[in-house]
Order: sequence, then structure tokens, then C-alpha cells
Amino acid sequence: MTGYLLRRLLGLVPVLLAAATLVWGLLFALPGDPARLIAGARAVDPEVLREVRVEWGLDDPAPVQYGRYLGRLLRGDLGVSYAQGRPVAAILRDYALPTLTLGLAALVLAAIAGIGLGALAAWYRGRAVDLGVLVLALLGASTPVFWLGLMLMLTFASWLRWLPATGYGLDGITLPFTAARLPEWRHLVLPAVTLALVSMGGLARVTRSALLDVAGADSLRAARARGLSRPGVFLRHALRRALPPVVTVLGLQLAGLFGGAVATEFVFAWPGIGKALVRAIALRDLPVVEGCVLLLTIAYVLASLVVDLVLPLLDPRVPEGTGLQ
Amino acid sequence: MTRGSRARLAVAAAFVCALPLGLAACGSRSPDKTAPRQVFRFRLREEPPTVDPAQMTDNLSEAIVMNVFRGLVAMDPESLAVVPAVAASWTVSPDNLTYTFRLRDGVTFHNGRALEAQDVVWSFERVLKKETHSPRRWLLEPVTGALDFAAGKASSVTGLSTPDPRTVVLHLDRPFAPFLGMLTMGGASIVPREVYENPEKSYLRAPVGCGPFKVVRWEPSSLIEMAAFDRYYGGRPAIDLVQARIIENQVTAFQEYRTGGLDSLDEVPTDLPADVEPEVLRYPLLGIGYIGFNLDRAPLKGNPALRQAINYAVDKEYLWSKLLPGANIPGRGLIPPGIAGYDADLPGYPHDEAKARSLLARAGYPAGRGLAPISLWFNTSGDNRRIAEQVQADLRGVGVPVTLREVDWAAYLKAVEGSAETAGEAQMFRFGWSLDYPDADAVLRPLLHSKNVGPAGNYFRYRNPAFDDLVDRALTLVDPAARADLYRKAERIAVMEDAPLLFLNYFGSMTLFKPYVKGVTPTPLGEFRIPLERLRLEKPAS
Repeated sequence: MTGYLLRRLLGLVPVLLAAATLVWGLLFALPGDPARLIAGARAVDPEVLREVRVEWGLDDPAPVQYGRYLGRLLRGDLGVSYAQGRPVAAILRDYALPTLTLGLAALVLAAIAGIGLGALAAWYRGRAVDLGVLVLALLGASTPVFWLGLMLMLTFASWLRWLPATGYGLDGITLPFTAARLPEWRHLVLPAVTLALVSMGGLARVTRSALLDVAGADSLRAARARGLSRPGVFLRHALRRALPPVVTVLGLQLAGLFGGAVATEFVFAWPGIGKALVRAIALRDLPVVEGCVLLLTIAYVLASLVVDLVLPLLDPRVPEGTGLQ
Repeated sequence: MTRGSRARLAVAAAFVCALPLGLAACGSRSPDKTAPRQVFRFRLREEPPTVDPAQMTDNLSEAIVMNVFRGLVAMDPESLAVVPAVAASWTVSPDNLTYTFRLRDGVTFHNGRALEAQDVVWSFERVLKKETHSPRRWLLEPVTGALDFAAGKASSVTGLSTPDPRTVVLHLDRPFAPFLGMLTMGGASIVPREVYENPEKSYLRAPVGCGPFKVVRWEPSSLIEMAAFDRYYGGRPAIDLVQARIIENQVTAFQEYRTGGLDSLDEVPTDLPADVEPEVLRYPLLGIGYIGFNLDRAPLKGNPALRQAINYAVDKEYLWSKLLPGANIPGRGLIPPGIAGYDADLPGYPHDEAKARSLLARAGYPAGRGLAPISLWFNTSGDNRRIAEQVQADLRGVGVPVTLREVDWAAYLKAVEGSAETAGEAQMFRFGWSLDYPDADAVLRPLLHSKNVGPAGNYFRYRNPAFDDLVDRALTLVDPAARADLYRKAERIAVMEDAPLLFLNYFGSMTLFKPYVKGVTPTPLGEFRIPLERLRLEKPAS
């Protein structure tokens, strides 16, 4: 077990190195001069531009810049943001909490709704409920999140005025959840539901097909023969056997939610990693882009690791460490 | 359950449990629930790139900096006259070389320390210092010895002295008319040394000045809160707390304004509901919008007739009254209304297709024959695409083919600016210029002086010694009428003879204010220069 964990964590190193190199190369190849952007939005004195290049080492040859960058990473130093002049680690800390809050809330909602709807569709296979769930899942998966977010905002924030559209920064969100903190948590509802609706569709479809796959299994027939009721078999045996693919998808979505919530963050003015990453790319703020990408890479690898650890618990036939590999 | 599976379960459970615990730990900062009496909330479309006055070059940063900091002098938002700020008074020597400022008594920084003359010297030297890399260094370069200090050749600025703790003397190499106006800019703010020497740069999130508001809270990418400073030398503002809310999306911001989450909004939707219309404030700004011509690239190079033809072909009236109605005024020239040198009689280029066609023929391209498509570059932002498409359509109407190139800001700057030696790739480019200080020099010199070719501002790569000479001479004069006269002459040369750009508009702005926000002073200095210390809220009791 420990050996397996260590192997997996060590496997993170080449993945991170590859991600770091890829991002560095891509940003280096993009048109646009970071020094010019560091020097501000206005016309700039060429002398100041030269000084900025020297200060940040941007006039060095590419291999030198790359070597310095890797050296810095190996020392665990994420560097300083070109645009903000602050350490990247501090910037990532700023954005990690809102991202984590939104991502987890959306995942919980998506899991409850997606697995529930998928189970419902499987139970009523071929009937109106099944069709309804499939249509809903298709709509959820194919609706642009930007549009969906705006529609939810216009309906629930502007028209009905039930929920705030924005305001994460006004109140923050603190734990544990109590009635007194309801005003804080209300800010989370619309963005989390928007994100959840999009993830929910895929989960419902996977749950439905996984349940249908195991429906005819011998073990289920045997359980029925032992006198268990149909709902009992469904809940205690079928659902448990159908869970591995669902958990696999859930794990990937968890990681994806951390970086893939850009449109939701944009609509609801949510200060998350995705938005920070897009802005950093626009400003050619290499250290921040790198920091965000490394963080997201770690999130993906850890999520897959968690899935691998959970799968054998759900289904003993799955050998240890084969889940997502 | 076997031992192994128990261990696996424990690891998984620990990970799942650790997440909310981590959340709880991170979320321990408890928001302040004591609601102040008067809270004014306005929107910023992005997080300000910086709140360090020495680094500030954009208007989002101004929204914070101009409320937190003060310089020796300030600019009256309405009359644009230079008025006292940290300096209570000043005198200028008869030769216009020596400026003596007498500091006001009782000016205090937000950290409680009294401001002294030495702080002025330190702040100015900080802007000049090489290590600061300040894009505003030029503000103080007219001071004697400033260039030597900036180059590291001198340990202090010889033209900067403090005969006593309440007096600052600035000595210039030569008379420089706009100098006092330049000292009103954010870059010349006075900062406390003990805060701005901090190598951790805590001032990037917790700036300390002596202005009417102090930053009390900064939620990244989301909110900046400024509280009234009780010991502000101009008297405590009526507003207790200002909340700058960062909301990128225009639709979201407008909904937030409508539902009461904002008291003011800087971006007004084009399809504004009728009931909100009375809340719009329209006012002119000191700036111009244009499409620049790259004079180092064919076919615009060496062909003023072609450039004039393009100017006549574009219908600026239609652009700003029908396509994008708002506060922009159709452009005729470079110097915007409201400052000395503005030429009300400058004809500019009113829409005239017949003239455009005849000039096109004179340029060597009758009906556009033989003219390869000209690239018009713009960055993805605001109404740039709609403007570019309209210009493209107007030019196609007279036979000038145009291809559009839309890119992001970084790629755009590279294509437009080039370097001092090499022209950028763009042949035409959509841009604008806001004046740093209300003086004709602040538009003519950076944009068109031959010394500023390239990233320094002259993206057109315009070089005309007669123009340079007029602008240089005007700078050394002190008589306002004589200066204005030289600027008018220079503008006529650039606009009516050389036409290095397509004059689209004089800037105007539209800002929404709720009816209960009183004391709003619209100012041509910019949307975010409306003085917040003059505001008060008269909300009906709920």
C-alpha cells in the first residue's frame, strides 16, 4: 500500500516536469512581449523597457531562461508574478479557496442529482421517466455554461430576486455552516448549480448505463432468488456494482471543475483559479500561468489517485491501483 | 474487512475529511459585520494591475490610487486648474526655473505618521530610481540632476531640496510649462518611506498614503474596500466606506446595478432600459479615439493623399450617433475640447465620398485600382470589432480594400508598436489616447514627436521636423496664449497636411449613478477621477 502510494506520488514528478515544459514552450512561442506588458498599459520609455528586460532576465537566450525557470521550480520556488509583483504562491493561495469551495459544492450537487437521476432512469428503463432523464442529461451536457449561468442569474437573481448573483468577496464563505451564515452561503448557490447542471448530465448517463449493464448479472438473479425485493436488490447490489465507472467519472470531473469553471467564474464574478489563469495568459504572466497549470496538474493526479484507492473498496474485483490507468 | 482494505478506506476517508477541514482553516477570516452608515459601491471591470503610484499607468489603478494618495498639488476636477494638496501654497521664480512648495500643517499618513518635506524627496527619488522601473519616471525628469540620479551617476537629485521640514524646492534645468500640471498625476504621489521600503512589498495589497480613503480590505479579484480616513487634511469624507467590486462581465455588472448591489456603473449597455436612462451621466473626457496609420509601411507610407482619402471616406457622425450612440463626439483632430490649444475652427475631415474618391485617384489608386488590401488590427475588447467593421464598410464604399485582424492585447501591442528602429506589422490599428495631464503637450508630444517613434507612443512613426519644432518651442514658453497658438499650428500641420491617423472621436464617457448618490462631479480626467470624498448618499429610509 505505502509502496504503491509512493510510486504514484513519484510518478507525479515527470508529469509535472512535462506540464511545466509544455506551458513554458507554448507561452514562449506566443506573440507578445512580457516586458512590454510589465511596463504598463501606456506608451513606454524604451529605456524603462530595457531595464525591465534585464531585471526579469527576459533578454537572455531561450535555453538560459528555460534553465533558470526549471532550477527555480526544482527549488520549489514558483517565482514572482510579472504583472502583480507578488509571489505566485501567495496568488495561488488567494484563488485556491474560492475554487475549492465552488468545485466541491458543484461536485456534491452533481453527484447527488446525477446518480439519483441515472438510477431513476435505469429503474424506469424505456418509460417516460427514462426518456425525460436522458433528454435532461443531454441538455445539461450540451448547454453552454456561459449561457446557462446568465439565464439562471437573470431568472433567480434579477427577476425573482431569490438569490444574489455575485458577492463572494463581500461576505466570504466560512465554515461551519450555520443559519447565521446563510447570507454568505447564498452566494454559492447559483454558480454551484450552474456548474453542477453541466456535470450532472454525464454522470446520469454513466450511472444509467452502468446499472443496466449489471442488471442481468447472475449475482443479482441469485439475490432475487434468495427472496430479496426488487428495490432491495437494486439498492444493495446493483447500485454498488455499478458505482466503479461512476466514481471514475466523478474523479475526473472533480479535477476538471478546478480549472474548467472559467465561464461560471466569469458570469458570477467568482475569483477562482480558472479566471486567474485566463487573465495571466492574456498578460503573458508566465510565472502565474505556470503556477496555475502545475496546481491543476496536481489536482488531476491526486483525483485519479483517490479514485484508484476508492475503487477496490467498492468492488473487490478491481485490483489495487488499476482504476484510471 | 481485511487489514489492507481498512487501511485503504482510512486513506480515502482521511483525504475526503481533510478537504472540508482545509476549507475551514482557509475560511477563518471572518468578515466585518458592523455595517457602516454610508457605503458607496462601484464596479471595476478588472482587478487594478497595481496600486503602487510609481507603477500606475491605467485608469483602473487610478480608481484606488487617486483616492488613497495625494501629491504636492492636485487638479480641480471641473476647472482643471492646479490646486493645493499636500502643499498649501507655492511660488514660481520669475525665470520659471524654481518651484518652492510650502507644506500644509497636519498632513498625516494612514499609518499615523506626520508627513514631512523629506517624504516628498524620498518619494520623488523612488520614482526616478532605476530599480523602481517606474513608467512615470519622465514626470520628474525635468528636475535638475534627475537624469544623473536615475542613471546611478549621483546619490541624490541636485534640483530637489528641503530647506526646512515644511518646504520643498524643485529646480528645473529649463522652463517647462506643463510641469506643475504633471505633479498632479498619481505618479507624483507622496508615500511613507517606512512602508514603501519593505522588501516584502506589503504595499501592493495594503497601500499607505495620505488621501481621503485608506484601503482596509482586499479580496483578490473580487473586492477592494476603502474606509474614510478620519485625519484627512481636507476633512473626513461623508462616505464611510467605499467598495470597489470587481465584476468582469458587463451583463452581470448591469444586473447587479439594477438589483441594488452597485450604486454606480462605469459601463452602460447599448440597449439601456428606459427607466434607467435618467441615471446616465454623460460627460466629455480628455482623450481621442483613432485608427492609426503605419507611415513606415506601404501603401500608407509617403502618401498623404491616400491617408486623407481614408479620413474623408469614414462617416464619423454615423458611427457615434447611430451605430454606437453614447457620449463620444465625432473627431476632427488631436487636441480635445476643454484644454488650451483646442481649435474650434479646425475643419478635420467631414464625411465626403466624392472628395475621398478624388484624393484616392490623386494618391495613384483611382477607385482603389491597384491597391492591395490594407490590414486593420484591433484587440478583442469593447466595441472595437463594430468600429473596425464599420470603417471597413465605409472604405470598401470608395474602393479601399481592408482586411480585419483581431488579436489579444499582447499580440496587438507587438504588431502595432514595433521598436524604435523597426516598424510593427500592422498597417492600420485601432487605438485611443487619454491625456495624462490637461495640456496639449500631453497628446501632441507622446503621439507624434519624432523622438517617440515606437513603444514610446508614436506608433504612426510620424516624423515632421516642422511639427517637432513647434511642439518643442511651445514647451519652453510660459505665456499660455503663445503656447496655445503654437499647438494649434502644430495640430494643423499634422491633421490637415500629413494625416498620420484617422480621427475617429473625442472621448466621452457614460456612467450610471443611482439617484440617491449626491455630490457627483463629472470630470474630463476620467470615469474613476470623480472625487469620492465629495459624495454623499441620500437613500430613502427603508
